[in-house]
Amino acid sequence: MSKESRWIPLIAVVLLVCLGAVCVIGVLGGTTFLGRLTGTEEAASLEGGARSSESGAVPKAETRELVETPEETSVTPVPSSAGGQVLIVPGGDPPTLDPHLSGDATSAEYVVEIFSGLVTFDQELNIVPDLAKGWDVSDDGTVYTFQLRDDAVFHNGKPVRAQDFKWSIERACDFRTRSTTADTYLGDIIGCRDKLRGTADEVEGVQAIDDYTLEITIDQPRVYFLSKLTYPTGYVLDQENVERGGRTWTDKPNGTGPFKLAEFRFGELIALERNEDYYREPMPQLERIDFILTGGSRMVMYEQGELDMAPVGLNDIERVTDPTNPLNEELNSVETMGIFYIGMNNNQPPFDDVKVRQAFNHALDRQRIIDVVYKETVPVAWGIVPPTMPGYENPDLKPLEYDPEKALELIAESKYGDVSEFPDITFHVLGAGGATGRIIEAIVASYEENLGVQIDVQQTDWATFLSDLNRPDNPNQMWGGEAGWIADYPDPHDFLDILFRCGSAQNHTGYCNPEVDDLLDQAGGEYDSEKREALYRQVEQTVVEEAAWVPLFFGVDDWLIKPYVKGAYLPPMVIPKYQYYSVER
Amino acid sequence: MLAYLVRRLLWLPILLIIVSFITFALGYYGPADPIVALLGRHYDPEIAAQLAHEYGFDQPFFVQYVKYLGRIVHLDFGESIKYRNQPVLRLLIPRLLITIQLNAVSSFIGVVIGVGLGVFAALKRGRPTDRIVVFGVVFGRAVPVFVAGPILLFLFARMIPVLPAGGWNGIFSRSAILPVLLLSIGPMAIFARQTRAGMLEVMGQDYIRTARAKGMREMGVVIAHALRNAFIPLLTILGFLLGSLVEGTFLTETIFGIPGMGQFAFEALGGRDYPVIITVTLLVAIAYALGNLWVDLLYGFVDPRIRQA
Repeated sequence: MSKESRWIPLIAVVLLVCLGAVCVIGVLGGTTFLGRLTGTEEAASLEGGARSSESGAVPKAETRELVETPEETSVTPVPSSAGGQVLIVPGGDPPTLDPHLSGDATSAEYVVEIFSGLVTFDQELNIVPDLAKGWDVSDDGTVYTFQLRDDAVFHNGKPVRAQDFKWSIERACDFRTRSTTADTYLGDIIGCRDKLRGTADEVEGVQAIDDYTLEITIDQPRVYFLSKLTYPTGYVLDQENVERGGRTWTDKPNGTGPFKLAEFRFGELIALERNEDYYREPMPQLERIDFILTGGSRMVMYEQGELDMAPVGLNDIERVTDPTNPLNEELNSVETMGIFYIGMNNNQPPFDDVKVRQAFNHALDRQRIIDVVYKETVPVAWGIVPPTMPGYENPDLKPLEYDPEKALELIAESKYGDVSEFPDITFHVLGAGGATGRIIEAIVASYEENLGVQIDVQQTDWATFLSDLNRPDNPNQMWGGEAGWIADYPDPHDFLDILFRCGSAQNHTGYCNPEVDDLLDQAGGEYDSEKREALYRQVEQTVVEEAAWVPLFFGVDDWLIKPYVKGAYLPPMVIPKYQYYSVER
Repeated sequence: MLAYLVRRLLWLPILLIIVSFITFALGYYGPADPIVALLGRHYDPEIAAQLAHEYGFDQPFFVQYVKYLGRIVHLDFGESIKYRNQPVLRLLIPRLLITIQLNAVSSFIGVVIGVGLGVFAALKRGRPTDRIVVFGVVFGRAVPVFVAGPILLFLFARMIPVLPAGGWNGIFSRSAILPVLLLSIGPMAIFARQTRAGMLEVMGQDYIRTARAKGMREMGVVIAHALRNAFIPLLTILGFLLGSLVEGTFLTETIFGIPGMGQFAFEALGGRDYPVIITVTLLVAIAYALGNLWVDLLYGFVDPRIRQA
């Protein structure tokens, strides 16, 4: 044996011991190490997480961890059977808890409970006072004067004043805040867009007249403006909280909402606790809400009593809609304010001919396909605006119904004359190379059967899908199916204007009809709600007739909710809801 | 020896520059835009342009890259795009800790069991037990993680539902059993194979015969003489392990829904969160480089000829 090689076994042993030590240190010392690194131990536990709640790779199976090993994991909340006003629900890791930055539903879910704004929605989606107790609108519809509540305080007890709103709106409109939503929701306020572009320091359109009077001036009469103020971008923040906390101020948010952030362990748990000083009815009854962020099947956890509520996926829908299944009694469904559709590029052949687009509407037996694929749990969309839209309905809408013969006639009348003259058609759908959704298969098969058109399906990941759609010359011919549009604010404007106005950023089809634009302009400034509704009906009819899309179905969320959860309110969009909930075991 | 170490370490920054350049270029010229992914349904060309300006994405490739390198030198890895404006390191470190725990425990278990199996097989050379071990080792090495993972899940979470199918409650919880098992298969197989080969070679040596002739007990012969010498090649493998395990973690974390670095990186890819992607790539590159360095140093230590070269 050479001299050096005598040391080899020693090194090996040392190495293995090190490995073992790393295991132990990693486990026992992790938090402390982290605490040191990120400032405080609390800070360490406040990380956002990596796990997505709908992680498709995790098959449905047992996850008993929560109940059986509470002392060891400490991650786990007290099992729901422990009693008290504690609600345990599934959740996702929020990209941010900053109301001005949140632009996604996962973040908004928490943000709307921790913070609040001038106005909000009640359970019927009527706009109701929140931090404002009332408001006046000037005769020309551009100046809103809000009277603020004088009894509202931040979580730390500091009163909420008009100056806080001015500061908050200016922060949201500051380009350095990097808000993705300020332009959409606050852009109508005079000066906000200038500040977003860096050409103004102040948002002139927001003035604090005194501590409890706030005046907001917008550029032109917009009936839906108050709707927009319900979104988190318009919420009030505590300047001191934000400026002291720096980039990580949301670790300890000083909000005004019905709940406070109590705990946040990324990938594991977000806990909210009741705000005892909340200013408004209904006062929150739940003492604590635990959002479980760990993986595992939500359905299984629900069935084992680890969750009080669980969303039902497509795979389980047949089981829970079966009336003989005991779970059926705990099923709660809510139509969301969302629509799923097939988009057709109006500027690309063959969809540049309205007759071809109409033919594609008539050739699809939507009722049958959707009933089969979604087990009769979702409503077919014949129009554009979801039926959950408050203050709007269109019962006389004439849809493009299933009529394959008419479809063939329309193609014969089109400038192509016959499907053999069509260029190749590619249908872009979301996906990562796995099997395509059943709805996509059914659509492709229908078009082949009824029109004799061969359609290639191309899957792209979400980021590429979006990037393509948003290019000035959208390269996609046909897209959608499992992708859709969900309301930001409950107003037909958010569908008909945002999606079909000539040149609108979200008008990916390139549909453009100046007459429709005229109607949209009129509707946007029309304060008479009946006239306004009539104008939007007219727009919807035209858009359906000119077949900008093939509307497919309106979204539905299915939840299982334990019977002892009372007041369980499932809104069709993300708005504050847990203040209605209570637990009665 | 020290000069050798310094020389090797000097290569590390060069390697990192190359890796970061490639990742950066792929991100820059890739098909999707992180700003579009961030804006999602609120996309508007004007806002996108302004945000791109804020993030510095509107600058020419080389300007962006050089600025990025400048920040890296100060250990500033930038801010996540998806996790709005949070420093990348702050997001990454808790996840990295989970990944390190997972790797350390898996390799520890894999190495210990692998070496044991190797010795056992070598002693039973040619007998059925040896054949079973050899077959198992080849099989274990050949089956990729993304096949073995779902099989394990199916067996232990679905057919015999004794273990959770996903989630994470710490390394000493039941949720860690399946992922650790999955990750330890690789090292276990390599070490079993190498130990067996090393043992067989050493067992034929003269000094083993001498030891036996002296009347030393067989156990003593195996541990003090045979295993000790068979360890030499194993040490070098340990180095390679460091890199390859990181790879395995990416898939394992995704399969089991473990909030570690791999899953975080996977998610970052989906949102084109380039600051996160590049940082993870650099970390993996560093892990590989250090693993290789370790191997080379050991070779140099064992064989003086390499040191001179």
